[in-house]
Amino acid sequence: MTAVEETTWRGRTEPGPKYLSLARTTLQQAIAYRITTLFNVGLTFIWVIILYYLWRSAYAGRTSIGGLTWDQMRTYVVIAYGINALVGWRTGSAMMATIRTGDVVFEMVRPLNYCTTQLARSVGYTVVEGAVSLAFTLAIGLIFLHIEAPASVAAALLFVLALIIGFLTKVLVVFLVSLLTFWTLNGMGLMWSQQAIMQILSGTIVPLALMPAWLQVIAGVLPLRGIVSTPLQLYLGQSTGWDAVGLLGLQLFWLVALWVLANLAWRRAFRIVEIQGG
Amino acid sequence: MIKIFFRLQLVQLRSAMEYRADFWIAAVGAILQQLVSIVFLVTFFGHVSSLGGWTLWQILVLQGLVMAADGLREMFTDGAWQLRADVNSGSFDRVLVRPVPPVVQQFTALASIHGVGNAGLGVVVLIIGLAHSGVQWAWWSVPLLVLTVLCGAILTTAISLLTNMIAFWEPSAQSAFPTLIALMRDFAKFPLDIYGAGIRFVVTVLLPYGLISYFPSRLVLGVGDAPGWWAVTPVIAAAGSSLVASLVWRKGLNRYQGVGN
Repeated sequence: MTAVEETTWRGRTEPGPKYLSLARTTLQQAIAYRITTLFNVGLTFIWVIILYYLWRSAYAGRTSIGGLTWDQMRTYVVIAYGINALVGWRTGSAMMATIRTGDVVFEMVRPLNYCTTQLARSVGYTVVEGAVSLAFTLAIGLIFLHIEAPASVAAALLFVLALIIGFLTKVLVVFLVSLLTFWTLNGMGLMWSQQAIMQILSGTIVPLALMPAWLQVIAGVLPLRGIVSTPLQLYLGQSTGWDAVGLLGLQLFWLVALWVLANLAWRRAFRIVEIQGG
Repeated sequence: MIKIFFRLQLVQLRSAMEYRADFWIAAVGAILQQLVSIVFLVTFFGHVSSLGGWTLWQILVLQGLVMAADGLREMFTDGAWQLRADVNSGSFDRVLVRPVPPVVQQFTALASIHGVGNAGLGVVVLIIGLAHSGVQWAWWSVPLLVLTVLCGAILTTAISLLTNMIAFWEPSAQSAFPTLIALMRDFAKFPLDIYGAGIRFVVTVLLPYGLISYFPSRLVLGVGDAPGWWAVTPVIAAAGSSLVASLVWRKGLNRYQGVGN
């Protein structure tokens, strides 16, 4: 009799890997909202088009601006926006929503690490939303805008590596910003600020190398460059050898630092909720 | 009518001001978003001296006009963005039974005071741009600029109402479609000459954001040959878009009642 019970209840007593199943759930949600996903892709394209035309007229009669050729600049613009769409608006707004409605309490009682939970969810969204965005961007980029391939095989591999670290960095930054919702009610304003600062300092709107010197110094040391600028520098083969190692090292350093910070901040926020929710 | 409009706005404003920190965060966020394109422009013009015959300052005039117009829209008619949520939750029913025109109620359903930030920044950018552009001032210059901003606010309002009315036909509040159309205004923050024919057509005829920035600016700034009748392009944009919006609004209301929500 016990043997029968064991076999019928196998599904419940042996759940799949926890974080993997979280990722799978959000993946299904993202599929359910595919039209939204499509429009989100359109949103990123407005600025790709604007920047394309702006740079096109800037390169008329010139071969290089800030060390980048027209071919490289075009590639940069398209891929930068593709990467930026990897972690979309949804990840952050979903986190903020749980905090505002109080559903966050349920997250607290779960025997899971909250940071990892959010990371797993973001991966779920990204597999659909981000991958679709990136695929669209690359397809349109290749067909209409004739973007360049990675500089070399090594460059392609380093690009993928940097892209993954950059993705994790962005999730953690979004996570930290979302936590501020514990202190303020206005998620919109926070998201707007975060988006704007990220667009500038990650090098999405314009490559770091072209920025005014003072801005270049600031953007150069901050973690946000690891999200867009670093992967693209490797893609275009602009930094190789020790330079590339240095960039990846900086990325990794910030990733670890942000992870520690995110966990500390979460614990702080946790305490506040306990005090308020007595 | 106008009195009711402002009184309703005031009520919303009071409730929004209850959360003072929130107001500031939203205002800062909205301004930062606008700054992205300014940071880009300044960087861009660090390497390039002119863009299709336009200087940095002249382009700032375009940016200022679009930002100020949209800031005004945000301040006074941001409730249009609440429409989808209201239709979905059923609270739109309340709007229909009150003895105030539904569109006035909808516009005042939300007070976005951070629009003050955007409108203010827009005006500042506009003035800075004008001051450095060596404008040949005529008696009509300032009235035309004011008219352009006002018509721009009407145009962006009409478009935001039109796109949000999608809720009457397609009640999925999730869609990013209205945002997509609203963001197309960014095209008009740069001289239209740089774009291909397709985009120029869209921004001049379908979503005439260009009529509230590019055409009047060329007249005021004296960029290239600008025929005098371009002074009425903002009016054309405002009148045309309002007409379409009001027609569709009537249709939308009928449909909403017809379905029997």
